[in-house]
Parts: sequence; structure tokens; C-alpha cells
Amino acid sequence: PEARAQAKYNWTFQTSETAGEPQYKIKQDWAKNVEAMSGGRIKIEILPTGAVVPHNQTLDAVGSGILQGHLTDPSYFSGKNPAFGMMGNLVGAWGDPMEFLEYMKFGGGEAIYNKLVEPYGLHLIGAMATGLESFPSKKPIRSVADMKGLKVRAPEGMVYDIFAKAGAAPVNLPGSEVYTALEKGVIDAADYTVFATNHTMGLHKFAPYPSYPGFHSLPMVDVSINKQIWDGLPADLKAILKTSVDALAYQAISRLKALDLQAANEARKDPNIHIIDLPAEERAKFRNIARQEWEKWAEKNAITKEFYGSVTDFLKGRGLM
Amino acid sequence: MTPETPPGGAGGAPRTAPLPHDDSANGQPLTGLDRAISQASKVVAWLVFISMVITVFEVVMRYAFNSPTSWVHETTVFLIAAIFLLGGPAALARDKHIRVRVLYDAVPPGARRWLDVLNGVLALLFTTGMTYAAWVMFYTASHNPLGEWQLERSGTSWNPAFPAYIKALILFALALMTVQVVLHLIHAIRNRPAEPAKSGGR
Amino acid sequence: MGGLGLSAIGIEGGTWLLIGGIFLLLVTGLPLAFVTGLVALALTFGWFGPNALPLVISRVYGFITEYSLVAVPMFVFMASLLDRSGIARDLFNAMRIFAGRLPGGVAVQTLVVAFLMATMSGIIGGEIVLLGLLALPQMLRLGYDRDISIGVVCAGGSLGTMIPPSIVLIIYGLIASVSIADLFVAAFTPGAILMGAYVAYVLGRCLMNPELGPPLSKEEAGGFKEKVAALKGVVFPVLIAGLVLGSIYGGVASVTEAAAMGVFGVLLAIIVRGEFSFRLMQESVQQTLDTCGMIIWIGIGAAIIVGVYNLMGGNRFVSSTILGLDASPTVIILVMMAIFLVLGCILDWIGIAMLCLPIFVPIVKQLGYDPVWFGILFCVSMQVSYLSPPFGPAAFYLKGVAPPDITLRHIFMALLPFIAIQIAVLMLLLFVPEISLWPLR
Ligand code: NA
Ligand code: NA
Repeated sequence: PEARAQAKYNWTFQTSETAGEPQYKIKQDWAKNVEAMSGGRIKIEILPTGAVVPHNQTLDAVGSGILQGHLTDPSYFSGKNPAFGMMGNLVGAWGDPMEFLEYMKFGGGEAIYNKLVEPYGLHLIGAMATGLESFPSKKPIRSVADMKGLKVRAPEGMVYDIFAKAGAAPVNLPGSEVYTALEKGVIDAADYTVFATNHTMGLHKFAPYPSYPGFHSLPMVDVSINKQIWDGLPADLKAILKTSVDALAYQAISRLKALDLQAANEARKDPNIHIIDLPAEERAKFRNIARQEWEKWAEKNAITKEFYGSVTDFLKGRGLM
Repeated sequence: MTPETPPGGAGGAPRTAPLPHDDSANGQPLTGLDRAISQASKVVAWLVFISMVITVFEVVMRYAFNSPTSWVHETTVFLIAAIFLLGGPAALARDKHIRVRVLYDAVPPGARRWLDVLNGVLALLFTTGMTYAAWVMFYTASHNPLGEWQLERSGTSWNPAFPAYIKALILFALALMTVQVVLHLIHAIRNRPAEPAKSGGR
Repeated sequence: MGGLGLSAIGIEGGTWLLIGGIFLLLVTGLPLAFVTGLVALALTFGWFGPNALPLVISRVYGFITEYSLVAVPMFVFMASLLDRSGIARDLFNAMRIFAGRLPGGVAVQTLVVAFLMATMSGIIGGEIVLLGLLALPQMLRLGYDRDISIGVVCAGGSLGTMIPPSIVLIIYGLIASVSIADLFVAAFTPGAILMGAYVAYVLGRCLMNPELGPPLSKEEAGGFKEKVAALKGVVFPVLIAGLVLGSIYGGVASVTEAAAMGVFGVLLAIIVRGEFSFRLMQESVQQTLDTCGMIIWIGIGAAIIVGVYNLMGGNRFVSSTILGLDASPTVIILVMMAIFLVLGCILDWIGIAMLCLPIFVPIVKQLGYDPVWFGILFCVSMQVSYLSPPFGPAAFYLKGVAPPDITLRHIFMALLPFIAIQIAVLMLLLFVPEISLWPLR
């Protein structure tokens, strides 16, 4: 309590993970780092998903100042503006999280995201990524053709339509139902989370054909702060916060990758689990299906259009398109 | 055992006490508004039947035809949320909300009147505060940051405006309860003798 | 954000203000649905100021749009239909015949039914409403002791989250980062022990005093012929249960959808029995709306208060309580259980989970205990929290459908012996971890 009283800025940031997930610990370490870098002037309390407001209501809560910031997946706000869904998870675009971060930082992504989020009263400090999500499945998916008729759980954002285009039968099932639905076979596969977490939860016991490294989804983590607070900060604290998020992104990528590799090694020892690495040409097929959907989303509004132009320029410049 | 049960009869078996769904055992609606809500709730209540039907439809489409719908889960959540929300004013109209009656039953009728007034004021504080907050939330869900009318959607492939509708229903339910509570408070201040059969949800 | 300066009293003072406020408002006779909500509203206003008020409403939104809650109205609807048709009465008449000369036999059967139903539902609420509408009036009609009947319904009906599938175990698994599969396996024996303990208690009381659960007389009990005739009353309930269980375990429907499948099955049965009518439907949907309105608004208040308390820093208070302890590992676990039980009197389980588990689980792991075992302890203490006054969801659910002459006070008094049983089982599981963990070895 004393430390809290001494700090000039006491903030509460809500995340989109439960306290048990590895990302949560990494975000807590970020808060400690900010406190250390700012010489104790900033103290941030990290709270798990749903602690203060529901996971899909943090945009409003940060904008109105109830929370001072959030570290969350922007896809949850797709219903406010489809650009959140498109920027938050451009399905099939990224081969690894570094490519995505390079685009955000040096390819124009941050500026477009701030154009999107600042009217809501938030400012993006920086982006982070969790790494490619794995794809737990009860049926072996060795090609795009294998997705035909696959009952896959898909939440908000672009994922649903892309899987539908790929021939799957997407099921719009809430997150809390995924575990038992997959266990009992109501669904065949799920868009869920990273390999290590899926493995810890015991998902691979009944969904023994995980796709890893994943192919479909690389969600952004938006690290944002209330804009009024941001505008009132001195330049040194702004620099500290921006630098701290870069460090966070670097930490998250390396630590989550290590956890995934460790879990994958463990899974490989289990004769009942068969990890599938989708071949490059099948990944390309899936990416091409996804791209048709990008074009559709680009027409939704001015920001999705601007993002589409900017991101395709970036990918072409890298020879990725 | 007896197939000759009167159709629609309330169970048929002798009961030790009237069940709460027997209207005779309930607190009668106190005000005209309560009566109107009580009537309207008879229609709203069918939403639960609709949710059941579409959920069974989803299960059949998915399991038998391998073609899950894109709309059933979101619609079910919306309909059930409407049931939950509108059930608030409905239960209030029929005096079914649960309360702890230890003190209320122990004090003389004169003091009960003051407890009714106190509870009316407390309930009014709650519903007014909540209605204000609900208004703020509904405004955010129905306007974009530029202040133009734009309904918040769910962001799924189907993308209905259910979030905005649900937030509108929250506002509606709370505003309605505020009016109900005001009328109850006026009733308590005028101190009509409380009907002895008011057992309801108490 | 500027509040009214209430935050100056600190989180410890705030905690006492919260608890005191709830108790004070409860006593005035304010509807429970408004009590926790008003305290939360007042704390938000005083602590953070008017700009923070949208917080409370955003929790309302989150609560009512929670998909797993869809099962609650489905179960209420199912119960209402069963009660209005003759299915429920025939079932209990048959159960009575089969219970025969055993004192308390129908109560024991109700517990077994509750256990079976627990394999079909993953949340608290629906099951209690169902048993409260069906079993309670029938047990009272058969002359069973009121307190034992109430306890059987509430304690038995709470088993829904103890026996897999269980939302409580799923949430624990997510927060504690342990295998949900392991939790499901480990929870089964403790769940069976809980049911066994309730059965033993009911049988013990009724054998000592048969008036508490009157058995059939020799003439009523009848012979083989009567038993075969009674089987007819069991046919429809068994078919309906088969439909629900088959939907879940055959991978046809999710746990929540299976509740709707159950309603569908009941409707079919009613049509086959020739009992279908518009009036029956109208009364059933109406009762569903009223019951849900009452129950859910209590839940809304509880959901609001957790958000405010978390923002006030409630987790800091809980962690300082635990981290300040310089005691043996066993004592630390016991203190954690005590915190679960005390918080269980005023908060709902999800609030307790969010408040305590992020702090407790790392400590438990550090002390070298198995987090799966701790998850089972958490789950059993939440069984207590459903029953313990003043915020006892099981009691509220039952009150919603019980005969009006049964007051909340009657219910809570009747639940005391069952709470004692739950705490005894909790201690057994605490000191003998193998009871939970043996299937994982
Ligand atoms: Na269960
Ligand atoms: Na309790």
C-alpha cells in the first residue's frame, strides 16, 4: 500500500487472460518493468479477464476512465468497427509474430490503429502478439481439402467466414463451451489458443491431431491507455511506456515460443497425440482463401480499406504476396 | 399412474400448500402499471419456448445434416437475456422478489409502514442509479465516437446488432422498474393497509 | 477519478463497509435483488465517483449474456412442464412403491436422481429448481419431514457442479492452469462421497424416527404386480433422461443445448400422454419468466459487487491476509478454506474464484501441493457457499419455487446439518488427498 501511495500514477489495466495463463504472468512482469523503469512513478495493477468489466467491454471502460488501460485482443470489438477484427487478426497473413510486429511498428500499422482507437478515447502504446495459435482437432487436417465439413468452433472476427470458404462447417460456440463440446465430439476442432495452454488444459487427450505450428490465427494484443492520461504524460514517461511494450512483445514471443516447444516435445512422446505440420503448399492454399476475404473486408469502411492497402503493400514489399 | 389427469391441470395431486404459480396465492399487482406489466409478461414469456425450438433446430442441423447455423447461439443468448431482463419488472409487478422478513414480521404494523417507505427509497436509489448508468451504456452502444447513430453489433459472421438491443433492453427494464418503485413508494406513503395474503416471494 | 473520498478508508475498511452494508440492507427487508446491487452502486459512487457508474451496468450486460446461463430457464421450463403434466406425480408415486418399507426411501431416491441429473448439468440452479418443483411438494405430500426434504433438494441439487461436467471445475482449470480432464476425473469420487454422506444422514435420521420419512404400510406396499404397474410411471422420465444424457455423451449437443433437448423431450412426452394444452404451455412459460426474473436479478447484484470490489483492490486485501501468515502449510490451506467459506456467505462462486484463486493457487503450488487436489477442495467449499446464509444461491433458487409458507429462514435452518456434512467431507478430502487423486496415479 505504501508504494501505491508514493507513485504519481496508479493505474489498473485489465487483460484478456485468466490468471493461470502464461501471458498473464508476462503482462504482470511488464507492469513491474514499467515501475522499475519509471523509478516508481508509475504503478500498474494487472487484473485478469472479467475482473472489473467483461472481456468485451474494456474498450468502453478504458475510454471512460474506469480502467486506465487494457492488454487485450481487439477482435472482441469487431462489432463496434470491423477494423478491430481485421487488424486484430488478419487470418493467414503472418508467418511469424515478428513479421506482424515489424508491420505494426515500421509498416504503418500503429498509426492506422491509433486512427481507429483514438476516437474511442484510447491511445495505443504498442502492439504485442502471442504467437501463432495452434489448431486442436479430433480429425487429422493434412490439407485444406481435409477441412471439408469439419465442425470448427469460430468466434467473432474473420475466422468464421474464412473457414466457411475453406469448406468447413463453422460453429459459433461461446468460449466457455469449447472444452466439453470438443471433449464429447459436438465439434471436431476449435479456434482456441496457443499449443502450450491447450496441452496443459488436457485438450489433446481428446483432440489428438493438433496443427502446430499453427496456420490460421495470430491475434494481436493491443496495449492501450486512456488517451487523456496519455496526453497528460511527460515525454520521458511516454518513452518509457513505449519502450516497455517493445520489451514486452519481445519477451512474450520468446517465452511463449519456449513454452510451446516444451509442450510440443512432451506431446510428441505421447503415442496417442499426432502433431501435424501443415505443408507449405497447403498453407499457401489457405492463405489464398483468406485473401479473398480480406478484399471483402476492405470494402467495409475507410479504415479497413486503408489498412488493407497498407498491409498488402508491406507484404508485397517483403515478397510475401 | 392416472392418465385421466385433467389436461393442463396443475398437477392434480393434493398439495400441502398452494404453489406460487397459483395466482390466488400471490401478491396481486399493486398498481395499474403492475397489472399492465403482468399482462404483457404473458406474451414475453413465450420467448423461452422460441429459444428451445431454435436450439433443437441447431442441434438437428449440426448433427444430422452437418450444417450448423450461424444464428442460433447468438439469438438464443439474446432471447434469454430478454427473459432475464424483463423478468425483473415482471417479478416486481407480482411481488415475487425474495426478501428477508425477520425484522419485518417482528415489528408492529405502524413500523412496517416505515419499513415499506424506507425500502421504497432504497429501491428507488438502486433503480435510479442503474437507469442512469444504463443510459450511458446504451448511448455508447448506439452512437459511434463521432456522435452519429450507429448500433453496436456482435462482430461475428452473422453480425446482428444484438449488443445494442440488449443494452436498450437493460435501459428499458431498469427505467420501468424505477417507475414501478416510485408508484409503490407513493402507495406506501399513503399507507393503505397491507393485504394479509401478500405472501408472494417473501 | 474523483470519488467522494470514500477510498481514504482503505481496502480493509472498504471490505467491512461492504459486508456491513449487505447485512444492514438485508435486515430492512429490501428485496435481495437490490441489496448487493445497491451496496455496489454506493461503493462505486463513493470510491470512484459518478463517472465510474457504467462499470456496474457493464457487469449486468456480461452476466445476462453468459451462454451457460441459458440452461437455467430451460431447466425451469422443463420442471414447470413436468410439474403441470402428470409425469412428475406418477414418477414419485412409482418411486414410493419401489422405496417400499424403507423409511426415508423417497428422499434417498431423490438424492440418486440428483446425482444422475448432475451428470447432465454443469451449473448451479436449474437442478434445484427442478427438484424443488417436483420432489419437494411430492415428498411433503408423502408426509416427509420438511427440513429433510428441503436439505435433500438443495444439497442434492448443488451436486451439479461437483460431478462432471462442471463450470466451476472448468473455470478453476482455466484460472489455475491445470488440466480440466484431470479435475473432472478427480472430482468424481468426492462427489459420490458427498452424495453418500447425504444418503447416510437421511437414512440415519429416518431409521431412528420413521415419522420423518414415512414408509408404506404393508397393504400399500403391495406385491410384484403393483411394482410392475408402477414401472409405467418411470418410463417417460427414463426416456427423457436418456435423451439428455445421450445428447451430451453421444456428442450430439453441448451441455447447454442438452437442456433444451430435455424440454423438447418433455413436450413430446406430454403430447404422447394426451396432456398437451395451450393453458399448460402458457402457465409454464409464465412461471419460467417469473422464476428467472427473481433468481437472475439476485445474481445480477452479486455480479456487480465483484467488479467493484476488484477495482477497489479487494485482491490486495485477500493476498495481504494470506501472505502475512507465518504458519505451517496445513494451517495456510486451512486459512484458505476459511476464506472460501466466509466469502461464500456473501459472494457467489465466480466472484470468489476471481478474487482468491489467482493468489492462492501459486502459493499452493509453491508449498508442493497438487493443484488438482486444491481444485477439488475449492469445488467442495463452493458446495458450502451455495447453501450458507445470507447469500445462499441454492436457498434462493428453492425459495423461488417452493410453497409460499416455506420461508427463507426455514430453508436456511434446514440446510445447517447439510452444511455440517459438507464441511466434514471437505476436511476428509483435505487430510486424505488420495481420495481425490487416486484415479490419476
Ligand atoms: Na455436472
Ligand atoms: Na453462501
